[in-house]
Amino acid sequence: MVQEALILQDIHIDDFLTIFVSASLVLVFGGFYVGIYAAVKVGLLKKWTMPLGYGFWILTGYCLYLMGSLMHVNDFTAKALVVAAIGLLLLPHAVYYMQDRVHEENEH
Amino acid sequence: MANNYLTTESKKLATWYFTFAAIIFGAQLLFGLVAATQYVMPGFLFEIVDFSVARMIHINALIVWMVFAMMGSVYWLLPDETGIETVGIGLGKLLYWVFVAAIVVVVLVYLLVQVGPADQTTIWFINEGREYLEAPRWADIGIVVVVLGFIYNLYATGMKGNRSGIITVLMADMLAFAGIYLAGMGYTDNISVDQYWWWWVIHLWVEATWEVFVGSIAAYGLITMIGAHRKVVEMWLWIEVAMLFGSGILGIGHHYFWIGTPEYWWEIGALFSALEPLPLVAMFIHVLYDWGKQQGAQEAQGKEVSVITNKPAFTWFVLQAFGNFLGAGVWGFFHTFPQVNLYTHGTQFTSAHGHLAFFGAYATILIGMFYLAVQGKNGIKVMHATKKSIWATSMIFGGVLGMTVALTLAGYVQVLVSRAQMGATWAGYFDGQAGIWFAQGMDWRLVMGVVTFIGFIILIQDLLSIGKAAHHER
Amino acid sequence: MAKKSVWSDNRFWQRSAGWITGFAAMLLIWLTFDTIPQIMMGSDSDIQNGVTKRVPSPTVINYKITYEMDTKRGHEIPVIGGANAEGTSSFQEKELFFGRDDWSEEEAAELLNLGKLGSQAKNCMNCHTLLGNGAYYAPDLTKSWLDPAWGPEGSMQAMTGKDTKEEAMAEFLINPSQYPTHARMMPNLGITAAEAKGLVAFLKHMSSIDTNGFPRNFGKIKGAVHGK
Repeated sequence: MVQEALILQDIHIDDFLTIFVSASLVLVFGGFYVGIYAAVKVGLLKKWTMPLGYGFWILTGYCLYLMGSLMHVNDFTAKALVVAAIGLLLLPHAVYYMQDRVHEENEH
Repeated sequence: MANNYLTTESKKLATWYFTFAAIIFGAQLLFGLVAATQYVMPGFLFEIVDFSVARMIHINALIVWMVFAMMGSVYWLLPDETGIETVGIGLGKLLYWVFVAAIVVVVLVYLLVQVGPADQTTIWFINEGREYLEAPRWADIGIVVVVLGFIYNLYATGMKGNRSGIITVLMADMLAFAGIYLAGMGYTDNISVDQYWWWWVIHLWVEATWEVFVGSIAAYGLITMIGAHRKVVEMWLWIEVAMLFGSGILGIGHHYFWIGTPEYWWEIGALFSALEPLPLVAMFIHVLYDWGKQQGAQEAQGKEVSVITNKPAFTWFVLQAFGNFLGAGVWGFFHTFPQVNLYTHGTQFTSAHGHLAFFGAYATILIGMFYLAVQGKNGIKVMHATKKSIWATSMIFGGVLGMTVALTLAGYVQVLVSRAQMGATWAGYFDGQAGIWFAQGMDWRLVMGVVTFIGFIILIQDLLSIGKAAHHER
Repeated sequence: MAKKSVWSDNRFWQRSAGWITGFAAMLLIWLTFDTIPQIMMGSDSDIQNGVTKRVPSPTVINYKITYEMDTKRGHEIPVIGGANAEGTSSFQEKELFFGRDDWSEEEAAELLNLGKLGSQAKNCMNCHTLLGNGAYYAPDLTKSWLDPAWGPEGSMQAMTGKDTKEEAMAEFLINPSQYPTHARMMPNLGITAAEAKGLVAFLKHMSSIDTNGFPRNFGKIKGAVHGK
């Protein structure tokens, strides 16, 4: 493995605000995505709102990209961020699948 | 009290724990106010109760009241879960008084003696001077003895009675919780080694074992308050344990960026920190999902009433899921990567995160447990909120959120001025402190602290009076 | 009844939780075995042999310490006794510490131990940050030894009327409220002259710890634009 310096560049003074805001929005948008998905599945929201949920996941991905590039992350961290984003995409599907399974087995 | 509906000694003991926890919670807020005032008026109580003393009591009281409330919660749920009276309840009561006495002595020494000479007697008898673990060595040993007794009770009861999934998780978690404390008891002249072990206690408590603890309490709450299906809840609990420990244990890497430890901790810390919010999101969704499912099932039977049997407690449980996500999740995530943490480490950002995370993840659910105890003690079937519970909840939650936002603004000024521009020197530090946004942030923090404190007083009044209100279903 | 699925089986999740927790814990323990030897304090012979340790021997108090950019690592590192050709510590240039540059390993260790005990006994960490951890009511002490304010042209050294950095720092620690630098003052903590000496040794030693470049750009930027 080639040893790569993790922190080479200073963060530009005007970039701090964008980094903090986009990093916060990562979880806010991510929460919206998961929330909308769950709400549609339990019938609190209409079915057509689902694409909106996936739209929020895309925004999450964009915020991660923005945050990562302004922080000058190295390759390893960039990969970790992509894994986290995909994990978030799959998370509610897995949760719902399992919840549904258990309810089916126990209530019918 | 006259109307005591508690049938088990374990639950009675739990109410003792909750009562002392609430008193110490008050002390925490009071000394927090002293420290917050000193930011605004530096001469306040100077060389009487200095910032270092006020803050030491503020954060130690925080830990102590939470540990008391956690032990109380376990004593509360043990009879429900195991179906039997807690084994060794006499020992539990004795240790309660030992613990209370020790805490009172420690706090009095903090207040009256404050500092000692630079030798081991200070470490043994006055304070250890290590943030959060200031308790002197004799008290450390006392805490270990008390906790060992508590764990004996938990294990003996869990093995004799019905060992549910929740009890199994608690038994494993409490053992880890106690064992980890030992890592913080030594002395070394090497500050890097010192902080390495110190983080074992602090991090593995609040980002691993405590999180699993609240997961168990939340599981218990969902079963008792909305009648959630035990199998579903317990399966979830195991998944949460896997996610929390899977991300949380190695998430400790984000504390090893700058204390002298090797650079590989950057990668480990960044990777596992990125994963740490996932279980928090999952826990939040799980609570809402179960609630929606139960309410839906109820309404399908044509009943319009709520499935919630304790409104104020359930409100605090939902706030826990939300506050944990916000405080530990959002406020933790935005300064967790080493590239940014290089500039934010040791600024008011950390303090903002600390306030919202401790409150959101732990204070909320433990206050919820107080309400569950009030309900049980008064033999109430369905407990409704009072005006006071609503005021208390809004003022405390709003107050802490307000403090967090104010501290975040102050931290932002520090990052820009003291760190990015001035390179963290003495002069840079005070330049940052002089920033108008910083100063106003500190003013607003104090104001919001007062709001929180008033909310706390209303909370106590409510806890003492809500049991007698007439609008509950008995 | 639907077919039992492994995904909805409590025993499966219980085992998974056990394995994942066990694996993470083992990994942490393994990493601890790798990290602890790397952060153990070096010895004086390391310094004599030019071996750079992350936490060097207490005898670094005999040497000049600076904080320089290491281009290979991409951040600043402490440089002890002047830089060699690669820009890392050469352990050549000495510096008097309370009038001596021949503190033996035992003497230096004793002084450092006194200082570390003092830092705990006086509860430094509940106002200051050490290695960035602690309270945020007063400046970070990680590299305070290298702070230009304590240097020969610095305001703090001038204020105490002392000729050297270490004497100025010790004087301040003994009588902090005599030297108010800010409305937020350091209280008098009953620090004795011996304890102050130990504390300054502790601070000088801390500045020689390799903190992976924290704090960034320490003392490098002068006269920056006043922020928001």
